[in-house]
Amino acid sequence: MAKEIAGLIKLQVKGGAANPSPPIGPALGSKGVNIMQFCKQFNGRTQDLAGKVLPVVITVYADKSFDFVIKQPPVAVQLIEAAKVKKGSAEPHLVKVGSVNWEQIKMIAEIKLEDLNCFSLEGAMSMVAGTARSMGITVTGERPSTN
Amino acid sequence: MNYTQITFKLNPDNQENREILVALLSDLSFESFDETEELVMGYIPGETVDLEQIGEITASLPFSVQTENEMIPDQNWNEVWEKNYFKPLLIGNRCLVRAPFHTEFEPAEFELVIEPKMAFGTGNHETTTLVAEQILNMDLSGKTVLDMGCGTGILGMMASLKGAKNVTAIDIDTWSFESTVENARLNNIFNLEAKLGDASLLGDETYEIIFANIHKNVIVNDLPVYESVLQSGGKLYLSGFNTHDMPDVKAKAESLGLRETGFQEKNNWVVYSFEKP
Repeated sequence: MAKEIAGLIKLQVKGGAANPSPPIGPALGSKGVNIMQFCKQFNGRTQDLAGKVLPVVITVYADKSFDFVIKQPPVAVQLIEAAKVKKGSAEPHLVKVGSVNWEQIKMIAEIKLEDLNCFSLEGAMSMVAGTARSMGITVTGERPSTN
Repeated sequence: MNYTQITFKLNPDNQENREILVALLSDLSFESFDETEELVMGYIPGETVDLEQIGEITASLPFSVQTENEMIPDQNWNEVWEKNYFKPLLIGNRCLVRAPFHTEFEPAEFELVIEPKMAFGTGNHETTTLVAEQILNMDLSGKTVLDMGCGTGILGMMASLKGAKNVTAIDIDTWSFESTVENARLNNIFNLEAKLGDASLLGDETYEIIFANIHKNVIVNDLPVYESVLQSGGKLYLSGFNTHDMPDVKAKAESLGLRETGFQEKNNWVVYSFEKP
């Protein structure tokens, strides 16, 4: 029988940096979860993504046990890494802060596709390119075919 | 440690804008982020926050961002679990681990009383039990022992119960350091010295046995120091990482001349042992 779910907690935590402080401490602690157990598991699983912001969805069960799913880094995080930008653009359509090519957009879209249900690679690429433009990042080169 | 919570109110507020803000802020010293329907919150360890740096980022965005900051005092967030769900447990069928407030438990060959608070190591995690089970099967009479990343002090204290001559227990986290000091006192263990810090504290003394239950990156980084303070013929027990990280750990250990002597695995967690020739 499926375990009874007591709550869902969504946070974004840097890889390898979970510790029992806010927001993890209060969010899990108030639900009676052993915070240290979560931190050890999360850090153990994210050693190779240390320092990168990772969305995590924690399911807390009525018996105070928990499960969690670590998602891929958000699109914007992957874009600033690919374009090596440190700041945004106040006028993204006029003032450009960096550039990425379509191959990079496709790679990010492929990584992110794992987290997006019912979404085609075409659609995911358009979404990533849209976020890039909103950040003042130019998309260069030919849009590759996905067939 | 006290933390600073910075709240961000975006206008217009939508998923894409939130994602851009978090991505740019993640280059700064923020450790984590949380969101409500109205706000995005970021968390920075300590009370000193470079507001100018944050301001430079929010000013560079095509949407407006209002920020506010608030200090969140350090406290034991783990109390609900400790008081209600931490149950006495038996490790390796020989060592009872319990909290001071537990009144119902079966006596065992060894017993450790642990006030966990926000330190790691209550015997509830595979990495602790894996190393603890090894300790229970070792003859530590008269040995000098180092426990790196001691948490509650559970492994170092167990080594003391098993006859170690003296134990040095080190942790970088203040809660853990204080927890080890308190727990050693609770268990009348007087040959354990707790220290607050990292591998840079090592160098003056050498050890016959070293335990390090931390994480892969810290272990791989600090292995040369562990090797340098391990006596010839001494043993090193590494834990706190998953099976898929074993090749990295092994490669580093072997590059230092350490010899693999075996490993134990439980639910994908490992204790990996090495010997210094």
